[in-house]
Amino acid sequence: MGHPPNEPSWRRYLRFWRPDAKADVDDELQFHLQEHVDDLVARGMDPLKARIEAVRRFGDMTQIRHTMQELAQEKETRMRRSEIFGVLKQDAIYALRLIRANPGFASAIVLTLALGIGATTAIFSVVNSVLLRPLPYADSERLLVINERFGEGLGQASVGHFYDWSEHSQSFTATAAYQGRTFNLTEGEPERIRGARVTPSFFQTGYMPPLRGRYFRPDETEASRVTVLSYGLWQTRFAGDTAIVGKEITLNGEKHIVIGITPAAYTLTRFDERLWTILTFTPEQRTNYGAHFLTVFAKLKPGVTLNQAQRELERITEDIRRREPENMKQRGVQAQFFSELLIGNYRTQLWLLLSAVTFVLLIGCANVASLLLARATARRKEIAIRGALGGGRGRLVRQLLTESFVLAFIGGVTGLLVARFGIRFLVTTGPAFVPRLTSAGLDPSVLMFALGATVVSGMLFGLAPALRATRVDLQSELRVGGRGSGGLVRDSARSLLIVTEFAVALLLLVSAGLFLRSAQTLQRVPLGFDPTGVTMLRVALPPDRYQSPEAVQTAYMRIVDQVRAIPGVRAAAASTRVPMWGPSIDMGITVDGRPRNPDRVETGHLRPVTAGFIEALGIPLKRGRMFRDADLAAGAPWVVVVNETFVRTIFGDENPIGKRVYGWTDQAKPEWREIVGVVGDVRAFGQENEMPPEIYMPITQLPQGAWDAFQRSMTIVAAAEPNAVIAPAMRKAVSAIDPLVPLFDVQTLSDVVSQSTANRRFNTQLLTFLGLTGLILAAIGIYGVIAFFVSQRTHEIGVRVALGASRPRVIRMVIRQAAVLALVGIAVGAVGAWWATKVFGTMLFQVGARDPVAFIAAAAALLIVALAASWFPARRAARVEPVKALAAAG
Amino acid sequence: MKTELLHGTLEVMVLKTLSWGRMHGYGIGRWIEQQGGDALRIEEGSLYPALYRLERKGWIDAEWGLSEKNRRAKYYRLTPAGRRALRANASLYADFAQAVARVLGASQAPSEA
Repeated sequence: MGHPPNEPSWRRYLRFWRPDAKADVDDELQFHLQEHVDDLVARGMDPLKARIEAVRRFGDMTQIRHTMQELAQEKETRMRRSEIFGVLKQDAIYALRLIRANPGFASAIVLTLALGIGATTAIFSVVNSVLLRPLPYADSERLLVINERFGEGLGQASVGHFYDWSEHSQSFTATAAYQGRTFNLTEGEPERIRGARVTPSFFQTGYMPPLRGRYFRPDETEASRVTVLSYGLWQTRFAGDTAIVGKEITLNGEKHIVIGITPAAYTLTRFDERLWTILTFTPEQRTNYGAHFLTVFAKLKPGVTLNQAQRELERITEDIRRREPENMKQRGVQAQFFSELLIGNYRTQLWLLLSAVTFVLLIGCANVASLLLARATARRKEIAIRGALGGGRGRLVRQLLTESFVLAFIGGVTGLLVARFGIRFLVTTGPAFVPRLTSAGLDPSVLMFALGATVVSGMLFGLAPALRATRVDLQSELRVGGRGSGGLVRDSARSLLIVTEFAVALLLLVSAGLFLRSAQTLQRVPLGFDPTGVTMLRVALPPDRYQSPEAVQTAYMRIVDQVRAIPGVRAAAASTRVPMWGPSIDMGITVDGRPRNPDRVETGHLRPVTAGFIEALGIPLKRGRMFRDADLAAGAPWVVVVNETFVRTIFGDENPIGKRVYGWTDQAKPEWREIVGVVGDVRAFGQENEMPPEIYMPITQLPQGAWDAFQRSMTIVAAAEPNAVIAPAMRKAVSAIDPLVPLFDVQTLSDVVSQSTANRRFNTQLLTFLGLTGLILAAIGIYGVIAFFVSQRTHEIGVRVALGASRPRVIRMVIRQAAVLALVGIAVGAVGAWWATKVFGTMLFQVGARDPVAFIAAAAALLIVALAASWFPARRAARVEPVKALAAAG
Repeated sequence: MKTELLHGTLEVMVLKTLSWGRMHGYGIGRWIEQQGGDALRIEEGSLYPALYRLERKGWIDAEWGLSEKNRRAKYYRLTPAGRRALRANASLYADFAQAVARVLGASQAPSEA
């Protein structure tokens, strides 16, 4: 049985190159039949009959031949695969041997990569946790928040709006209203709990199956007195006791039955609410379009877009405007995705950090590539010999690439360690309110990212040196004797790397510079008050025991007196809010004797205070007088103190002292209050934000319902010497008045101020750190290149010195090499930065994205570093002894 | 009589055959036929897939060489792993064969429970 006739005979020659499984099978069968025929013929059988007999004895030839070919093919594939692995293994072993032979070189590379890959992975894990992972709720991509638009900003919605939006719309499967509030939990140690009152449908909008029990039923009302606990509260307060479901707890003095517990993932930030009760509305409330205190959640029907929902809501809101023109002044509606509301602020910031850290990794890779190029040049002779001995170019490239990948993988694995620490650092020092930051970790997608970063790095720094090293001209290399003859100028690959490094480093430094300048500008913004030595704590009086305004006022006055008596306290007072902390309620303002302008909305933020509050915070008096104790006495004339922004927006240049204003209360029964003083503005909403018009009012003269609006809660402040610890004494003072009242938010005002810029500070610090890392890496890079340049050209320098070149001239020649590269890089980087920094936008504070100071400072820093880094090799070059250099080379 | 042999049985016999030294496929078939007589007359074709499977298991390996008559032939040889496998399996088959012999040669009728 020979070859099938249709198979060309040349096919057999293929076996010279690689085994041909099919032909081997045929040959073997052929041999078998021949032998058998020979045997039979030897026993006297006719050759033709013998052949027939042999074939018959063999059995099903076609089938067996087919099976044999399959088995042979399979075996060959496996052999080829193991051959490839064998080569890879051999390359890897060779690479490891080289690494062991030169541990300093290898560890420099591994360390650079570990830091670069580790830092990039750490920041990616935050990006992944905060931005990329979907929210834990079912169909969270359909979850919306609907706000009233108020002028330029977004505000909360009225009950009337909520009902109209819910009942007249077709776009949603569920809508829910939400009102954040705090509760006094008085099981055991009294505690103030952040929570919310929500309509029963709330848990259908952002749904996760309850961990225990159930959520609210549609027929349940506020009177059902039921509550759902968060996982966190259940753990900390009730020690994870499963029997709590069905039991009663006391909230604000009223018994509530715990009906369910949300899963841990339900809570997205550390500041999320920790329990929920039911919010229901009276028929009167349902027609109220004037009081805006609800956050509205809605879940889109499948297939309905945000735009469609928005247009439908606008139609409904226009109907409301026709019915309620007075309440709808400057108001509209705005629906947005919940995820956008939650993480929109962090998107630019986190992508920015990820790009910055990727740039650092890029510079690191350029350094490694440069090192490998240098070594490849030094290894030219070895490579030339291997080439001469028949190592094909592909084989050599593969060998060098394997070395790079071995280095990259050692770097990557070490980088995971770096990433672990990096993540821990980011989570603990990152701003506390970033949602889901705490769940950042080394999960599978982050590990995949690290692997990707490792492979890409390996390719980036490995490919160019490998290709270039093997482009060696074998003959000339072996003839010249391996002396590097390429100068730096001709060394285009390494020059390009240095230029890239400097360009990227400039981009990083400019970014860091812009943020530093913002921080600096921000620091110079006057606060308008002096937080030094001021300690605050918040108290909320339970409505069951402090029902009337008089009871509330008396209690707070007594608490303030008690705190003021603490030794070392020079001033004590109470206010519903301190700058940058606490609830703020604004109200429309009407001025006596001035007609109401229907288009103009004049507002003031109400600040109920006790006498001495303004003084305790060091807010300066500009006109008139401060409050006196007499202003808080019963029957005193009604007075207010306003800030300068209030005066400017409502009175312009007019002297406001003695003018009468009212707000909050019904127009029909105005409660006139006389302005007795004007005080300086404070940065009430943080240093970066506009200062609001503010109106201070004695707590004894508040409009009806104000205590309910402020939830009977006030901040007690006490001013003492800086660094004096008075918080414990303040706690004791409050307990002396009422031991059952919970205290919370105990902190110094300096901390409050510092928290208000925490996010910005975090960004600035990280960017500065990354910028400096880029700078150092660029310096190391240029040092390496120049030092190598000098060492390769010792011979030439020796000749120059011998021919009379002075030492300063040698130094200048070397430094000029560095300066040219650095300047080209800086120029390229500056052009890039000119375009790129636009993305910063509002993240900068009163600093232009093309701030010349930041650009010049970054360029100068890089140039100085380049010159300094090349100084040492230049000096070494100048010390070259011509005789020795020439002798060594000869 | 034509006996359909189990793969395993054939493989052990091939290993045993090769334990005497390297041999080509035809030779292996002849040797088994001679030793086992007509009772073990195998269908010659089934030998080759068995050889390829043993090669895949790493129990034997093969190389091309020249036969006594100067023909190109594929020679098989036992590997150390194959030698170990032969030791393990040979006793197994011997036990099996004895057991079968005992059952078939039994003189006592099974007692009915």
